[in-house]
Amino acid sequence: MTSRELVVDTLEFRGPARVPRQLWTLPWAEMTWPAELAALRARFPDDIVSSPAFLREPPRTEGEEYEPGVFVDEWGCRFENAQRGIIGQVKEPRLRDWSGLDGLRVPRERLTVDLAEVDGFCAASGAFVLAKTGARPFELLQSLRGPENLYVDLAERPKGLFRLIDAVHAFFREEMELWASTEVDALVFADDWGGQTGLLVAPGLWRELFKPLYREYVEIAHRNGKYAFMHSDGHIAAILPDLVEIGLDALNAQIFCMDVAEIGRRFAGKLTFWGEVDRQRLLPSGTPAEVAAAVGEVHRALWRGGGAIAQCEFGPGARPENVAAVFEAWEALTRPAM
Amino acid sequence: MLAAMQEALIAGKKAEVESLVDGALAGGVAAARILDEGLIPGMERLGEQFKRNEVFIPEVLVAARAMQAGLAKLEPHLAKAGVKPRGIVVIGTVKGDLHDIGKNLVAMMLRGNGFKIVDLGVDVAPEKYLDAARASGAGAIALSALLTTTMVQMKNVVEAVKKAGLAVPVVVGGAPVTRDYADRIGADGFAPDAASAVEEIGRIIAAR
Ligand code: B12
Repeated sequence: MTSRELVVDTLEFRGPARVPRQLWTLPWAEMTWPAELAALRARFPDDIVSSPAFLREPPRTEGEEYEPGVFVDEWGCRFENAQRGIIGQVKEPRLRDWSGLDGLRVPRERLTVDLAEVDGFCAASGAFVLAKTGARPFELLQSLRGPENLYVDLAERPKGLFRLIDAVHAFFREEMELWASTEVDALVFADDWGGQTGLLVAPGLWRELFKPLYREYVEIAHRNGKYAFMHSDGHIAAILPDLVEIGLDALNAQIFCMDVAEIGRRFAGKLTFWGEVDRQRLLPSGTPAEVAAAVGEVHRALWRGGGAIAQCEFGPGARPENVAAVFEAWEALTRPAM
Repeated sequence: MLAAMQEALIAGKKAEVESLVDGALAGGVAAARILDEGLIPGMERLGEQFKRNEVFIPEVLVAARAMQAGLAKLEPHLAKAGVKPRGIVVIGTVKGDLHDIGKNLVAMMLRGNGFKIVDLGVDVAPEKYLDAARASGAGAIALSALLTTTMVQMKNVVEAVKKAGLAVPVVVGGAPVTRDYADRIGADGFAPDAASAVEEIGRIIAAR
């Protein structure tokens, strides 16, 4: 059975032979634990991989995203970074006021994907391949306007806000359609919608302004026979029913800042939880035994002959032995004999 | 009128708050009373609603702006009447950490509750908190951290304060921070959200 088949069987709840896996890393992990990381990758190869972007024209950026100093991203957002291995933060927003809106340059280079190369990559890979789609409307709006201005916009709703949402959404749609025409298995989008204890914006506002965008991304995926994968950090329990309703196939969320058992009662069998093991407490300061217990909890709550992916993020502070424990525990739980 | 002011504040209606403050001042209501019975209770109610996930960051930010506008009108009168702030708080996000939305909400909520704030921004080195606390005569130092890797910086600040023999309590918060962690590093206070931060800091400053 190929990795791709394992993942598809998981997404379709067809009882795959084992739980598919994927390890996420931030450059921090490569810098801090290079040997341990290489060993982990060799021991637990990913069943899910991202296609390279295969752009014919490189996006226009300046500086290094993960190094101290200034990094200007492809939308012209200026990030100032203090630390190696993690991203920085926008200090001088690109759209301080709406006068710059007409001159906003979308990163058309992202649409110069060499489709044949992508197809070649998919054909050569036995893994389930994710598109290199970058849709993250809310985060992009925050970077372009500055987080605080954007939150105020969401309360006051100036006309410019809607023009800006339309502009970024049109671009992301185009990018989704492009990738949907390749042989990838899934389209991906992301936006962090939660703080530690609840949504960052009112659920009603989210439903009105943002849910329709994600609904369209899912539609583009499904119309083209692709799965739809989403990532969203924070406590987002309030919008889980909506994500199920729009037909999302897999969700990466901080299930540990919510109630894992409760999520299981309400949503197990309805979509696949693209992993997560508590990266705020367990991975950095728990023991391997605690990590294994947490994986057991996720398995009990969410696994219904599918519906979960063994995933965690090796990010700032995480211990390599705890990351290993995640994959060991999943493997032990789903040996064919069990 | 003070009840209407609370409602206007909670709804983030800046112009309405300003005109209600003007009206109250013109009608001879003392600035301190406008603050204590109009603006501060409005901000407190909003903080409670935020804590209960009934309102969210956008609503809090526009309300804080309305508060700020009302305060700006009151400040000269408060100064003239010799009204002192409830305390001075030095606040900042610790070294290596750039998350500031939560820290800013805590600062706004404190300001809206009658505290004077010295905001050092993000990526703040331990010495800077100490310098600012000395220079301002702060009653508390408030630290925010959102990353497990930068949370450890809080311990450095607590230790630096002790080592310098500075008698200023240190209060900590931010997504990964817990009461247990605060106790372990010897911090004087902790709060899980902005409304509780105001209570905790108010309690600690009043107890000194
Ligand atoms: C928005 C966000 C960002 C934004 C920040 C924008 C900004 N201007 O602040 C951006 C995109 C820039 C960002 C960047 C990163 N982030 Co971030 N981010 C978040 C997110 C989604 C929400 C944080 C937030 O704003 N919450 C809303 C506010 C209102 O809540 P709050 O900050 O918790 O504050 C409240 C309370 O905690 C308390 N409080 C806060 N401070 C204080 C202080 C005192 C004294 C008191 C008493 C109380 C108190 O009151 C506040 C109001 O109620 C969290 C997810 C989460 N679970 O929290 C991740 C999260 C914190 N980020 C994370 C990471 C990993 C990063 C990056 C390293 C990612 C990267 N790819 O490099 C970078 C690091 C940047 C840096 N150098 O600091 C991780 C941290 C994991 C860990 N190991 O700790 C989280 C948990 C997400 C995740 N699951 O991975 N992030």
